[in-house]
Amino acid sequence: MGKARIIRCVLGMLGTDVHTKGIRTLAQLLRDEGVEVVYLGEHNTVPGMASAVIQEDADIVGLSFSTAAYLHYVRAFRDELISRGAGDVPVMVGGMIHPDDRAPLAEMGIEGIFGPGSTVPEIMAFMSRAADAYRNAGAVNS
Amino acid sequence: MRVAEAEVKQLAESAIAQDARAGARLITLIESGASDLYPALSTLYAAGGHARIVGVTGPPGAGKSTLVDQLIAYYRAANLRVAVLAVDPSSPKSGGAVLGDRFRMSQHYSDAGVFIRSMANRGALGGLARSTPDALVVLDAMGWDIVLLETVGVGQSEIDIMRHAGAVLVLQTSHSGDALQSVKAGLLEIADIFVVNRASEPDAQRTVRALREMVHVDAERRGEAAWPVSVCETEALTGEGIAALAASIERRFTYLTDNPKARAQLRHMQVRVHMEAIAAGIVAARLTDRGGAGAPGSDVVADVAARRRDLYATARALVGGDD
Repeated sequence: MGKARIIRCVLGMLGTDVHTKGIRTLAQLLRDEGVEVVYLGEHNTVPGMASAVIQEDADIVGLSFSTAAYLHYVRAFRDELISRGAGDVPVMVGGMIHPDDRAPLAEMGIEGIFGPGSTVPEIMAFMSRAADAYRNAGAVNS
Repeated sequence: MRVAEAEVKQLAESAIAQDARAGARLITLIESGASDLYPALSTLYAAGGHARIVGVTGPPGAGKSTLVDQLIAYYRAANLRVAVLAVDPSSPKSGGAVLGDRFRMSQHYSDAGVFIRSMANRGALGGLARSTPDALVVLDAMGWDIVLLETVGVGQSEIDIMRHAGAVLVLQTSHSGDALQSVKAGLLEIADIFVVNRASEPDAQRTVRALREMVHVDAERRGEAAWPVSVCETEALTGEGIAALAASIERRFTYLTDNPKARAQLRHMQVRVHMEAIAAGIVAARLTDRGGAGAPGSDVVADVAARRRDLYATARALVGGDD
């Protein structure tokens, strides 16, 4: 066992969503929590973001949405990760997520959903837990 | 972090077979200071030696990432496989980082012929990270034709890039100061190629002139056999000047091929630096093992601090491994 592992998190937005204020703020807050944030910003494609997750060896991915198309995008993104052998990388979503959509997101395996009012400790607790579970299951380290 | 040897061996073989995920995972293990990586790194090192490493350095906001984005496009059009290793600073307060270089290269995200990896410098001061040299070994072994190595935004003295690249591009802008700045020691001495980016800005020509004058004086002193440092002008946002810059980079590698003495001098310096870094890493790990709380009775750091042991003898014993 060495020092505490540094969490690598890919943050970005898919499709035409341009509301970057939230995700930039989160990037800064996570930086202050000791996270290495790979910031992808807006206008990402599903395959492009999946490539980033693989090449950056992310422990977790955060997607931010302020448009209503998120169910479609999250499903497409999960499918893309799975098809490329990275379906085990945890995904969290944030932004304007309607309460009715929590169940369908959960069915896609999205456990971290952080809308307005979420706190940094909540997000960090989730990220640490999810990243640990992912790394230990991935088991190149012990 | 300890790693199962068989798994790391498998990762190395997969990376050599150009598996992006395996290469990415190896770089993470290197960054985390995993022990027992040396056999895998040896395998990777043996598989490499072919990549052209192009260093890109310069002050924050000069346009390094945007220039890298354009160079990727240029090399992809020439059907070369391109990797990028882009370093950004870690927070001195939290250790976290916002790695934002990749964001400028989004047009290449879906291209399987491009591999982009962001890296936090984790407190290293020379413009790169401590794990950068070994990460380059991984990328080289993966068979990327060109590796673009982007430093953190640097000032006057962060010159680690020269220790790892075959061609060093130093970016400057119209705000880079007057002719006196251009003759100061440090960063400006390590350029193989100067790139004045945002060349159409009003004061950019002043920078170009100052650099050309400096380069000219330097060339006379260094003689005909030396690499002729050039000054290129670019607009990274539009791609203007990129073809000419790529031609300069090509000339630099041709020069190294045609001048075995210069190439040997560069390579020997780089190998020496890398070996020293590996050795320093091993010594640091030994010190952690022996000085850690988990090794009662053998806390050499505490012993030296309390002056129960001699500093120099203990340090030498650490290297010899026979304390």
